[in-house]
Amino acid sequence: MMQLNTKSIKQNALISAVLASLLASLSITSSAFDLQGAIKDAAKKQIEEQLDQSPDSQQAAPPETTSSAVTTTAETPQATINWKNPSKQEEIALGREITGNLLGAAPLVKDDALQKYVNSVGRWVASQSERPDLPWHFGVIESDDLNAFAAPGGYVMITKGLYRKMSNEAQLAGVLGHEIGHVVAKHQLKVLQKQQLLNMGAGLLNKKVAKDNKFISKAIGSGAEISARSLDKSAEFEADRLGMSYATRSGYEAFGLSDILQIMGQTGKNDSSVALLFKTHPHPDERLATLGDAVGNRLDNVKAGKTLENRFYTLKN
Amino acid sequence: MRNLTRLLIAASFPALLLANLSMAAETGSALKNDSIRFEPFADAKIIGKFNRGDKVEILSKKGAWLQVKTTKNTGWVRLLSIKRGSSASGNQAAGALAVASGRAGTGQVVSTTGIRGLSAEELKAAKFNEAEVKAMESYTQSASQGKQFADAGGLQTVTFPNLKAVSGGSK
Repeated sequence: MMQLNTKSIKQNALISAVLASLLASLSITSSAFDLQGAIKDAAKKQIEEQLDQSPDSQQAAPPETTSSAVTTTAETPQATINWKNPSKQEEIALGREITGNLLGAAPLVKDDALQKYVNSVGRWVASQSERPDLPWHFGVIESDDLNAFAAPGGYVMITKGLYRKMSNEAQLAGVLGHEIGHVVAKHQLKVLQKQQLLNMGAGLLNKKVAKDNKFISKAIGSGAEISARSLDKSAEFEADRLGMSYATRSGYEAFGLSDILQIMGQTGKNDSSVALLFKTHPHPDERLATLGDAVGNRLDNVKAGKTLENRFYTLKN
Repeated sequence: MRNLTRLLIAASFPALLLANLSMAAETGSALKNDSIRFEPFADAKIIGKFNRGDKVEILSKKGAWLQVKTTKNTGWVRLLSIKRGSSASGNQAAGALAVASGRAGTGQVVSTTGIRGLSAEELKAAKFNEAEVKAMESYTQSASQGKQFADAGGLQTVTFPNLKAVSGGSK
């Protein structure tokens, strides 16, 4: 913990100033995946340098150094992660940890045929995404809530309550497509990276915090807390667009996802089955309208896809 | 086809159906300002307009279009410009269900009806379950298995670039 004294106030001001100036100078570069990470990293190095000097002297960013406080700690047998630029394997390990926690709250529905069916649909849709190479895993979990979750590296879960609202395969494909979109765009991963890099920045004065944050199990916080958190609205809209695009490319009727958004929108605000969903997502009406703007006339010349209600798997209970 | 789907949805939710008898002639409301066209095509003649929030009666669906009746016109509008169902009756229906199942109000399960929620608190308190992750991973399908499954359903890939965000859409 930082003590609230003049020094830490100065340091905080310094961190803000450095971040602001870096953000300003980098604002034209919008496409870099690891922009957040790069900024934080640069800021951190700059902060380190400046803390060693007089707090009043503002200096330009120091030349690139090869090591940071985080990568110089000793190797341990526990799973660790390079937060600046996580590898695919690290991303998967992170997603697995989150998934295990989520499944600790709501286990899989014990129905092999259901799980295999959902994995078949999901795998086909994921194959039409930009990351067909991930080992995609799908699961229907025991909950009567209406919700779905994605974790980094290709883990996707939907609740039984949401599955029950569906009446055909195109709708399932659309919903899974939305979650696949989150994974492809690395929305949750970026939230975690940002948080960890900020923690590390704050933890520079506390070696233990910086060290602990290397470990996946410690880094994701308490349980599946990350899954109960909101992403930016723009991330949800992006996942809607991607989900609809993937399902359409897969040969499904394009409006499966919007069918489900319609059903969600008809669920009362006070119904507890949508409490978490409505807390963490823009209202379905807003999502439909925004998706409609993006669709425009883009689907006018696309051959109608399949809904496949005939083979849609019916829940046993 | 669309009617069949709607029928299936209705059939699988008798409770909602009961509470929403008015949906027999399905109602909807406009999510944005848009045009009503004579036929379900982008270049069909515009025969009217509606504003966000206007009530419409939904008559039929064709591809990406809904045939609707407003107080002034009957014509075709884009599917995603309309919210289906009247929000008022939807809320009442869900509210009644929530009360019936003891889940009204707080977002917490308030009685033990066997209904299981998934709150932020429950997620936060969750403990890692290795056996369940392994079970989930055991159902994993390969890309080629996915392809076989698609072929069995007659699914064919379509060329369709990812949708892009539109700035200043017709909200």
